[in-house]
Amino acid sequence: MIRILSPEGDVGTPPAELAPAPTVLTGRRIVVLDNGKPNARLVMEHVARRLAERTGAVVGTTVAKRGGAATPSDDDELAAVRASADLVLTGSAD
Amino acid sequence: MAFLDLFDDSPEALYELFEARGWGDGLPLVAPTEDRVAAMLGACAGRDPDEVVAVLAPRFGKATRRSIAVNAVLAGCRPEWMPVLVTAIRALGVPRVNLRGVNATTHPVSVLTIVHGRAVDDLGFNSGLGVFGPGNRANATVGRAVRLVLLHVAGASPGTGDASTQGQPSKYTYCVGENVAASPWGGYHRSAGVDAESAVTVHCGENPHNFHDMESDEPAGILEKAASAMASLGMNNACISEGEFFVALCPEHAATIAAAGWSRADVSAYLYERARLPASAFREAFANRRWRPWMHSVPDDHLLPMTDSPDNVKVFVAGGAGKHSCVIPSWGVTTSVTLALEP
Repeated sequence: MIRILSPEGDVGTPPAELAPAPTVLTGRRIVVLDNGKPNARLVMEHVARRLAERTGAVVGTTVAKRGGAATPSDDDELAAVRASADLVLTGSAD
Repeated sequence: MAFLDLFDDSPEALYELFEARGWGDGLPLVAPTEDRVAAMLGACAGRDPDEVVAVLAPRFGKATRRSIAVNAVLAGCRPEWMPVLVTAIRALGVPRVNLRGVNATTHPVSVLTIVHGRAVDDLGFNSGLGVFGPGNRANATVGRAVRLVLLHVAGASPGTGDASTQGQPSKYTYCVGENVAASPWGGYHRSAGVDAESAVTVHCGENPHNFHDMESDEPAGILEKAASAMASLGMNNACISEGEFFVALCPEHAATIAAAGWSRADVSAYLYERARLPASAFREAFANRRWRPWMHSVPDDHLLPMTDSPDNVKVFVAGGAGKHSCVIPSWGVTTSVTLALEP
């Protein structure tokens, strides 16, 4: 028998988790956070419109992410998006 | 640190265990027993084995000397290479590397580790013939250990923490020594502001793009080919003006260039001037361009550089006899880091 050490080590910062989704979207504001990848805005704005049609939500103005897809949003940008939306759609596309 | 007990101590059992857990790089591994890890840590005498050297995204795993040592054993490293490995991992934790992006992108970017100064010869790294190829244990296993730390500690596993569409062979191992004995301009690390006998650079980039020149007896002929290798719309740097290019000149090319009186900075300046494409070509190819503001105002029929500053063209000497050199474009939104070798 041999004893070996795990190669993983500990995790320093717990990974972020998605915020709880609102249970009712009627009258809620949907905002797209566009990371600038080709077609990302096209796909997400389409999804936002379809969601709004089906639930009575309102589509807000899309926010273009300042750092693009390569870097995370800073706190100011996230605060601004949070203030303007009840539901944020973001994602990527290549 | 977590332990695992294997009742079958054969190499095959370890191999199977790692495969079943989604660990490793697919190649055979050395068992990280307590004795072997302790021997590895012995090369970091006096240093706290549980100090957090870097927190590595996207998993935000804590890279300590102990967890680095486990991966060094797995990769087949000798203990005396631990300082190189620890320095490389510390460099990867510097925010401007943007390791989260490097690991998570669909681009094939890998981490090139370059060893500079006395450590190259003292520790047995290859900086000469076949420097980017197989056959030298230090280059092979230190580069592999960097990747294993990224896989295990940083969580850069294909599919969950590494979205690379195709990957690239240098994701297995990517480590070279700088051939300072053949460099007309001294060690690269000193040009990067690190005044130390030995140092380590990490550069997150593509595989080497070869260029050859067998004819030229003056700098321009050689560097026109380097510029041609750099001026490609296909690379990530094409739409990201802050991207760096590392240029690894072979000793013969470097000697020809230096014999004409050119400095390292002259090489960078020339390549900045000559690695260009029409502004219209960039605009037609990319709807989204991460450019410095001034670049957006350049008319379509003017030439734009592949990178927005000569300082982004980094020149060092590597390799042996022959007339082949290479360009290593970065992923784009990442900046190389050079640190003095840790004791």
